[in-house]
Amino acid sequence: MSELERERREIATELQRPGHSPDPKMRITRRTFMHRSCLTGAATVAQTFAWWPLINTIDIAYAAEAPFKFAWLSDTHLYPESVNTRFVEKVKRAAKEIQAMNPPADFMIFGGDLAQLGRANELALGVQLLSEVKIPKVFIPGEHDWYYDMGAEWRKHFDKPSWSMDHKGVRFIGLDTVSHGPDYWSARKMSPEERMDHMATLDGSVAGPWAGVGHEGLDWLSKTLSDWDKARPVVIFTHNPLYEYYPPWNFWVRDWREVNDILKPYKNVTNIHGHVHQVLYNEIGSMRSIGMLATSWPWPYAPEGVPKLTVPMIRVDPGDIYDGVGWGDLSMKNDKVDTEYVMWGRKQVFATDISGPDSSLSQPEVLRPRIADKIWPY
Amino acid sequence: MTNRKKFLFAGCGASAVAALVAIAILVGPARANKDPVTPEQLNAYNQVFLDEVKKGDLLFHGDDATQKQMGVKLTTSAMACAMCHPFASDTHPMSFPKFQVSMNQFATLRDMINWCIEKPNQGEKIDPESEAMKALEAYIYWSNTGSVLVPGKY
Repeated sequence: MSELERERREIATELQRPGHSPDPKMRITRRTFMHRSCLTGAATVAQTFAWWPLINTIDIAYAAEAPFKFAWLSDTHLYPESVNTRFVEKVKRAAKEIQAMNPPADFMIFGGDLAQLGRANELALGVQLLSEVKIPKVFIPGEHDWYYDMGAEWRKHFDKPSWSMDHKGVRFIGLDTVSHGPDYWSARKMSPEERMDHMATLDGSVAGPWAGVGHEGLDWLSKTLSDWDKARPVVIFTHNPLYEYYPPWNFWVRDWREVNDILKPYKNVTNIHGHVHQVLYNEIGSMRSIGMLATSWPWPYAPEGVPKLTVPMIRVDPGDIYDGVGWGDLSMKNDKVDTEYVMWGRKQVFATDISGPDSSLSQPEVLRPRIADKIWPY
Repeated sequence: MTNRKKFLFAGCGASAVAALVAIAILVGPARANKDPVTPEQLNAYNQVFLDEVKKGDLLFHGDDATQKQMGVKLTTSAMACAMCHPFASDTHPMSFPKFQVSMNQFATLRDMINWCIEKPNQGEKIDPESEAMKALEAYIYWSNTGSVLVPGKY
């Protein structure tokens, strides 16, 4: 049995026991029903994909307050405008569209990777471009924002990397998953530029398993949730997904088991994350997890570990800089949240047939890790 | 020695040299190939390949020094190949050659590499026979070792 298979079995044994799934008392919508049919195998995969709706629906029970919307934006990866204008143009477009939301969003969450190489001018450019969004904004960091100066500039702009706020009956938490990477730079005497370059290479091996919440973060999360009714909704914004998808690209947090232990008593938890630049959906324990699009560029799905509950996004055209990217329009109404992917230039976000020509998963790949960064003098 | 004898002698000499060259060309390599391959030779052959893979890896990940050394400019937008293709994923070398819709033509992997350099990266197209192209091709194929060949697949 492979290591990955062993880990997956462990996940299933540990987290998918009876009574530890998203609260069954939540209202079942048609969308949720179709989803469960997939889980139980009541529909074939092709049928399930054919029925899957454009909007990914998450039920939030017990939210008695007025309906509201919020917007997700992340992974803008800004270079200075003199180097690359296309990423700048896309942030301008997203900012304009978010500001024009009707009904307006109550707030915008920026999910990390505002900058590409963590430079002060990149972060400042991001702040300037997002000043066009006049609604309240909250931020969490991405690894690209952090590892040039270890978050110094980011903190000046956005203060604490982890925070919580209660809004209309929902506890929103911004959880830092990027700043606790193991020190790979001191022993190798790396300059800040070198440290950042390794962190900015998704498929590099030098930065290692940097994604994690860390002991302090786990304590903070536990404390932050301790006074919250376990039946009421919790929405956690993170840069990385709070489960194990594909560790070589840090499509995970390394301490996801501990995070899940803390969240287990809460029956209605939704994790919304960036970093993956792709449509993703998963359920683990009592938590639902949704991956959001980037504005910069889409990542392909990893060669293994794509959650079975994910309906893959459609295969995009690499010649169109607006394809496969965009932002998220999220609504919370009564007892549910709808997540709508605003993918520019496309009405159809999801592949209707996983093995068909429009699915990016239709060509299975066998891939191996890099070679050059293992022999380079690091 | 008479001129005729000189001519005959020279002719014999030339024939002998030609025969030796023919033997060297036809028999020499054939015999060499029939010799059992030593582990040292295998290692040397593999090293030649891996050196190309390493160069390709560095080019693919936007290494400036390697680009300068090989005389290519693969980007002007600060995009590197690996930014969209970590582990050379989604390059699908196993599906080439094929009709490539984005190019509206029947294309090889080298054609596709050049398309990516020119379009998303906004770099300068490279000679399809260049060392840089061979290195990029080597890295992409090596990364996809074990994938099943499906030439022509969309």
